[in-house]
Amino acid sequence: MSPTSKLIPALFGVFLASCSATTTIDEYRPTGEAIELNVAEQVVILGRRDAGHYETDREFVDCVASKMRGADIGILPEQEFIDAIYPWFEPRTAPKGLSRLKRLMQDPSIKAEVDKRAVRYLVWLDGSTDTLDKSGSMSCAVGPGGGGCFGFAKWDKLSVYEAIIWDLQDLTEKGRVRVDSEGTSYLIGAVAPIPFLSPVKDDACASLGNQLKSFFSITPATQ
Amino acid sequence: MLTITMKSFAALFVLSILGGCSSSASVQLTGDFPKVLAKPKPLSAAVVFEPSFATYIAQPNAKTVIDMGAAQVRLLRNAFAGLFGRLEFVGSREEITIDNAMVIIPSVREVQVSTPSENYQNVFEVWIKYNLDLESTAGESIDSWFMPAYGKTPDAFMASKSDAIEQAAISALRDAGAKLILDFYRIPSVHNWVIEEQERARQASLQQPDKSEVSP
Repeated sequence: MSPTSKLIPALFGVFLASCSATTTIDEYRPTGEAIELNVAEQVVILGRRDAGHYETDREFVDCVASKMRGADIGILPEQEFIDAIYPWFEPRTAPKGLSRLKRLMQDPSIKAEVDKRAVRYLVWLDGSTDTLDKSGSMSCAVGPGGGGCFGFAKWDKLSVYEAIIWDLQDLTEKGRVRVDSEGTSYLIGAVAPIPFLSPVKDDACASLGNQLKSFFSITPATQ
Repeated sequence: MLTITMKSFAALFVLSILGGCSSSASVQLTGDFPKVLAKPKPLSAAVVFEPSFATYIAQPNAKTVIDMGAAQVRLLRNAFAGLFGRLEFVGSREEITIDNAMVIIPSVREVQVSTPSENYQNVFEVWIKYNLDLESTAGESIDSWFMPAYGKTPDAFMASKSDAIEQAAISALRDAGAKLILDFYRIPSVHNWVIEEQERARQASLQQPDKSEVSP
């Protein structure tokens, strides 16, 4: 085997290894006990959308919801909940703190809608994924004889998301989870552009979803 | 023959790519808005949707057209149903049939759009500036209320500009509904009108003979 044929797989291996994301999870719970969730009760996961320069995207909210749904936790779709109590969870009106939530829940019509859908917990997701740094360059050209891309580019991505769990029955905060995921992606132009993408957002979603799952303990339905 | 087909295919392919890169957007807002969860006051209002409002097409810049007339009528019908117990929707002031009502004439002052290439952020934004002329049925002006609404949506990778602007415009319309429900009765002149109307209704009920009285 020639040294070149050994070098290429080694180079690919190094790139693939460096494409992984580094994820850190911090959590806070007032008590060490799991949050009890009746099988008949539901959790709704909502994205914060009141910040000026970013939105917690629906794709991420759906991703975390699908991770939790996998653990038999009843998840009410975000849009269904927002529409059911329109306009009280629009970006302008959504409660930012527990005092505002308490005032909202004093309204019998809002409380009735929440109870009708058996929503017990509300999980607020707030955060975004941003590109931090870009370097390198790639140029592509097409001619009568064919075309190709040559060059090298890399960029760093950072996902920072925080989840806050509110209990809609006793109107208290049950815990917080913060996830930071960072990784570098590469694009190598060797005739065809070959991407090595770091799954930063997917890692943040999987880590947050799994951590949130561990918060809840499913209990049988009460009579 | 094969060469011609390949050339046609290549031309179509290039045209479709260029079309996809086009920065113009023509949007028609369709779909319904959710019913508002609010208890209306036992008051009357007549909402005048003038043809210019009901068929309004915004052109915030040379490359963007938003057909939003029907959508904003649907939204305001829903929102006002959460504010007034007795409502009438008409096309002109002459068609109003209810008495002692607040006459509300909405109009659009301006629509603005901002795209990621303009705001250097990863969001599409839409601002709608409404004006609500509030009058009594006799034609006396109560107030002229400026009501701005804002909506934004993330720049979805590979999604079209039209889709993003449509989502941001729908978000702005929903925000208009939220602002209306939240702030309408906080307008000082509207608050005063409500007190006057409640007093007038109380006086009117006192003047009516008590039907529960048993005649001798």
